[in-house]
Amino acid sequence: MHILLIEDDPSVADYISKGLRENAYSVEHVTHGNDGLNTALASVFDALIVDRMLPGLDGLSIIQRLRESGNKTPALILSALGAVDDRVSGLRAGGDDYLVKPFAFAELLARLEAILRRQQVNMHQTRLKVADLEMDLLSHKVTRAGQPFNLQPREYKLLEFLMKHAGQVVTRTMLLENVWDYHFDPQTNVIDVHISRLRQKIDRGFDKVLLSTVRGAGYLLQDPDTL
Amino acid sequence: MILRQTFASITFRFMFYYVACLSIAVFFLLGLLFASFSYKYFRDADQLVDLELTRLAGIYQSEGRDALMAQAEPRDADRRGFYFRLSDPRQRKLAGTLPEKPVSGYSTWLEWEHAVIFQRWDDSGEQLILQERALGDGNTLTVARNYRDMILIERVIGSVLVRSMIVTIVLGAIGGAVVAARSVRHVDVVNRAVTRLMGGDFSERLPGLNAQGDFRELVENFNRMLDRIQTLMEGMRQVSDNIAHDLRTPLTRLRNHLANLQSSVDEASQDTVQALLDEADSLLATFNALLRIAQVESGERLSGFTEVDLQVILLDVIELYEPLAADKDIAITTDLLGSMPMSGDRDLLFQAFANVLDNAIKYTPDGGSIRIRACAEDNGWRVDVADSGAGIPVVDRAKVFRRFYRVEASRGLQPGNGLGLSLVHAVVNLHHGSIALGDNQPGLEFSVRLPKTAAA
Repeated sequence: MHILLIEDDPSVADYISKGLRENAYSVEHVTHGNDGLNTALASVFDALIVDRMLPGLDGLSIIQRLRESGNKTPALILSALGAVDDRVSGLRAGGDDYLVKPFAFAELLARLEAILRRQQVNMHQTRLKVADLEMDLLSHKVTRAGQPFNLQPREYKLLEFLMKHAGQVVTRTMLLENVWDYHFDPQTNVIDVHISRLRQKIDRGFDKVLLSTVRGAGYLLQDPDTL
Repeated sequence: MILRQTFASITFRFMFYYVACLSIAVFFLLGLLFASFSYKYFRDADQLVDLELTRLAGIYQSEGRDALMAQAEPRDADRRGFYFRLSDPRQRKLAGTLPEKPVSGYSTWLEWEHAVIFQRWDDSGEQLILQERALGDGNTLTVARNYRDMILIERVIGSVLVRSMIVTIVLGAIGGAVVAARSVRHVDVVNRAVTRLMGGDFSERLPGLNAQGDFRELVENFNRMLDRIQTLMEGMRQVSDNIAHDLRTPLTRLRNHLANLQSSVDEASQDTVQALLDEADSLLATFNALLRIAQVESGERLSGFTEVDLQVILLDVIELYEPLAADKDIAITTDLLGSMPMSGDRDLLFQAFANVLDNAIKYTPDGGSIRIRACAEDNGWRVDVADSGAGIPVVDRAKVFRRFYRVEASRGLQPGNGLGLSLVHAVVNLHHGSIALGDNQPGLEFSVRLPKTAAA
């Protein structure tokens, strides 16, 4: 996977580059906004990580220009302070996700993987499958090894999000933003409770545990046999 | 409202005292005028009587009694109203138009040069001014003049003066009310502006309107004071933002290094590193909460207000926290309305009610209950979250909204940074709402009032 990083702060850039390389990504790094746009147009990347505030062209303008020229490379926007308007304007400009600095590397990695995956997931897909867990997106039926079980609407949305991102870590904030659609800081880890409820439904009575918690990062739904 | 304020205003009271003093002054002034008029008139009348007396005495002395008697029926208009009497030394009437009667009463008024004698003359109740002069032959000549025309004139003057006084008082009172109402309107404008300012929009300034003089100076000084406050607040916010920002970045870096370390240390140290990571996460959470409160209090989020349905937000909060309550075997009962439209920030309202419900669950013992009730209020909504926990002692109720404040009994027992309710408070304030803490016997009743439109 080839990533273009447009970031003027050297310490942040080093830290992202180093982390991504450790996770088997190849990274190209530029510091100036105009260079960033030119590089993004000149060669093909799998994803962009763009800082909002840059010397020269700012991050949002880069993404806007790219989208205008028909370039649909997924883009993750980094910003220093996250007011609501910032997030909205960032997404409106054509960004795929928005991350407020400072962030844990695990959060960046999870979000980067999510936007890369979004490109691969077929929009017209009607069935999701992880090991013997299946979800029919049209009839809203979920079965494990052929056995159907009932989910509450929110549990269904949660499982759908996890299945769409099967095999990758999703963070708590990603779940709050995508499943509950609220940007807020829970005081206690309410998401853990929802996850364990869901786990009770889908994993109880089966040898294979599909849904696991990654400590300090988030949750992971995957078929353990595919590792 | 304006009328009540008008009567209660200092300006009105000032105007009231002003009118009262003015009335007293006018009363004395007009009284003096009346006295001067009367004095002049009485003296003129007295002089006329004196002249008549001299004339009649001259006629008597030069032409005798018969000539005097010829004057009994005066033909010219000037002498109408005059009466005379000639008496012998024993006060018996010898001739004249004035009947013989003893002078019943004397009254001197304001030290007249010539004593003015009032006499009740006959049954008609006519009053006369009398003057007597002794003639050379021992007889006495008395001349009297009718007094009624003077009284009439004095009555006219008196009633004119009384009317002037009434007009003065009425005009003064109306003028006072108008001036008071004007200044009350000024005060009202200032009051509303200050209320808005306290709501967080510190960029606003008092309108100078068409005020002049002292009031304009007051408004200008007030605005200068606001400039100063704003500068100070911006300075404070900048410092706190800088601290939070500057510490947050290295803290995140520390956390990331720890996360890297975790993958390379041996099994035994894993837990230690994880504990350090958790510690760093909770520090970061505290910083984020502080920054969020600062951001909410700055009023910056007002620009993000949209039409939201509080009902939907409440249901989402309840749905999110329901499993947490179920884990503690706490029953949540709800009594909500159909729809609760209002203007606000969806994420912040969610955050606020999430914090309230989170606290309620945290402080309610296993097997307890939480009741969430919504009702419509004047131009807004009230949401009560009542739990069956320990409640908050009355002495602590005002303090729980302070940053980092935690009720003594809960320290160490429950996780938390003491910022949850500060954030709730900031969010409710941003929406121009209010919070009341009550007793649920046992437990806490947390009541939040939110207006439908924040622009109040």
